This record gives sequence, C-alpha cells and structure tokens, in this order.
Amino acid sequence: MNRTNYITMKSALAVAVAASLFIGCASTPKHPLGSEQVRAKLTALQGDPALANGAPVALKDAEAAVRDAERTEKDLVLAAHRVYIADHKVDTARSLAETRVAEQERTALNEQSEKARLNSRTAEADRAKSDALIARAESAEQKLAANSARTDANDAMLAANSAQQQAAELQRQLEILQAKPTDRGLVLTLGDTLFSTGKAELKAGAAANLDRLTNFMNEYPKRTAAIEGYTDSMGSEEMNQALSERRAAAVKNYLVGQGVVSSRLTSRGRGENSPIADNESAAGRQQNRRVEVVIDQAPTN
Amino acid sequence: MNSPIEFTRSARRRLRMTLPMLLLCGVAFAKPPIPTTNLDSAQQAISNAERVEAATFAAVELGEARSKLAAAQQAVSEKEMVAAAQLADEARASAELAAARTGAAKAAAVNADIKRNTATLVEEMQRKTGDTK
Repeated sequence: MNRTNYITMKSALAVAVAASLFIGCASTPKHPLGSEQVRAKLTALQGDPALANGAPVALKDAEAAVRDAERTEKDLVLAAHRVYIADHKVDTARSLAETRVAEQERTALNEQSEKARLNSRTAEADRAKSDALIARAESAEQKLAANSARTDANDAMLAANSAQQQAAELQRQLEILQAKPTDRGLVLTLGDTLFSTGKAELKAGAAANLDRLTNFMNEYPKRTAAIEGYTDSMGSEEMNQALSERRAAAVKNYLVGQGVVSSRLTSRGRGENSPIADNESAAGRQQNRRVEVVIDQAPTN
Repeated sequence: MNSPIEFTRSARRRLRMTLPMLLLCGVAFAKPPIPTTNLDSAQQAISNAERVEAATFAAVELGEARSKLAAAQQAVSEKEMVAAAQLADEARASAELAAARTGAAKAAAVNADIKRNTATLVEEMQRKTGDTK
C-alpha cells in the first residue's frame, strides 16, 4: 500500500517537474518589449472580417515584420527598431485595407446617389407636370373652355333628353289622336261626328276632338298637316267633292282660328275617292265619311 | 636593366601579397559604408507621401518620417552607419504609413461626401414633395 503511494507520488512529481520544465522552455525566449502589443494589433487586423483581405501584400509584409520583432534580441536598440517597423507596417496594412473597403463601398454609394438623383429628377418632372397642369387649369381661358365644353355637353345631354321626351310626348299625343303611321305620314282620321249630314259646319262637340289636334300643331310648330275631306258615295260626285272640300277647309279654318299658321296647313277634298269601308252598308258609309289629317314625318322642332 | 616581363611578375607578386592585407585592414578598421539604399528609399517614401498630401491628412506620421530621416543623416555624419540604416528604415516605414493613412482618410472623405450629397438630395426631394402636398 505504502509502496504504491510512494510510486504514485514519485511519478506525479516527475510529471510536475517535466511540465514545469516544458513551460519554462516554452516561455524562455523572451519576446522583445512591445512586440506583444504589435502582435495583438496584427491579430486584431487579421480577425477583422471586413479588413482581413483588404491589403494582402501589406498584411504579409506586416506579418513578416511582426515575426521579426518577436525574435529574441540582445541588442535592445535593434529589438526596438524591429518593433517600430512592425508596428508601422501593421498600421499601414490596416490603412490600406480601410482604403480598399472604402473604395468598394463607393460603388454602392454611387449607385444610391444615382438612384436618389434619378428619383429627384423624376419627382421634379412630375412636379413640373403637375405645376403645368395646375397653371393651365388656373388660366381663365382653359377654365372657360372647360366650362363651355361642360355646358355644351350639358346642352347636348339636355337636347338628347328633351328630344327623347318630345319623341315620347309625340308618341303619346299621336296615340291620343289615334294617328296611324302610314307611308304618307301620320294619318289622323276624324270621324263624321264632326259634321251634320250634308253640312260643312263643325258641330259644337267636335271642338274637343279638334283641340287635341290644335294643341299638337301648336306644340310642334315645324310640322305641317294636309287636311283631306272624304265622303261616302251617296249623292252626286260633284256635290260630294264640293262637300269634302268645304269640310276640309272648315277643319283648316278652325285650326287657323286656334292659332295654327295657315301656311302649315293644306286642305283639299277627295270626294268619294279612297273609301276605307264598304259604301253598301250604313256602317261602311259612316266610316267613309271622314276627314283625314296627314301630319308630315319631318323631325320635331 | 630589368625586362618589362620581369617587372610585371614582381608587381603581381607584390599585389598578391598586399591585397589580402588591405582587405584585412578594411575588415578590421573601416566603418560600414553609408546606407545609401535605405536613405534613398526613405527619401522616396517621404516624397511620395508629400505628393499625396500627407501633410494635410497624416501630418504626425509625415513629420515623424522627416525627423527620422534627419536623424539618419545626422547618424551618417557621425559615422553611425548601423543606426543610420535603422533610422532611415524607420523614416521609410513612417512615410509609408503617412501615405497609407492619407489614402484611407481621402477615401473616407470621398465616401462621406457622396453620402452627404445623397442625403441632401433625398431631403430636398422630400421637402419639395412635401411642399406640393
């Protein structure tokens, strides 16, 4: 037991001595004063990812100088000289690397600058454009033109609306008048109820029927009307012709009396011509006794 | 009367003896030669640093290079050639550092200038766009 302990102690001692010797040996070559600081500076430069590859030649030079500075040297002046050189070379390598990094950054900076300049110019152009627009919009002439254009547009719209309304109105009135669109125009047939048999004087009850025509003619002053009188085949032809003429004239006179300009109205007698029904029956003859008002198809207004 | 050939022979013999002696004397007594290369290199490095305007951007380093070179020349005049060589090398190292620092300072200045211009441009643009709004 004791013996084993002794051996252990002895071997431990040996290890300790060897270790101390080893450490002693390792630390024996004293680095010259200041060389450790220079080494630290170099290590810092080498460890800087941005700068480590910036100036490879200068860095190699600095590394060699640092190794040189670390050599044991009894001549203290020479040792200090080497440290001085190494220190300056490390600083030089760092500066050169910094220069290189700055030059590399410059490319990106120039791109940013160019982009900013471009943006600025674009903005300036946009601004100029908008200024011009504002100036133009502010000019009275443009404003007037815009207004007049707007008015024109409104007018056109109103006209379109009114045309539409008028057309609708016309349609409505034609329906009231019971006019029929034919190839001659719109034909309004006024029945024999307007006149007493054999007479050309309008009956009092006819007024309501004719007033609608009057209103129509007054509302559409550009339209003209051809008033045609017809009779049945009873009686002599000459008599019927004359009667139809007088009846047509009576209607025309009535309309003129209501304010319709006579130049817009024509009247003529068609006598027994153009029957619309059978003259053999009383009902047919009644239909044939009529006044037709043919309103031209010309556009309104 | 000695023949010219004999004279030459004796002269050669004499020379053969004196040359090693002279060399021996040189090694024993002569000082090391003037470190011309080192001094020239230092002067060139300083000139180079001056050319890149190190006086403006790295005045301390350039000043040190100049005084080191002056010290080297002083050492030469005092026949301290080893010291002269060392001082000349230090002058060169200092001048090279001055030039390198000048380069870095200039590069940084140029970059700062570009950055400032860009910033001004951006600011101006934002102000103008702000005005129109």
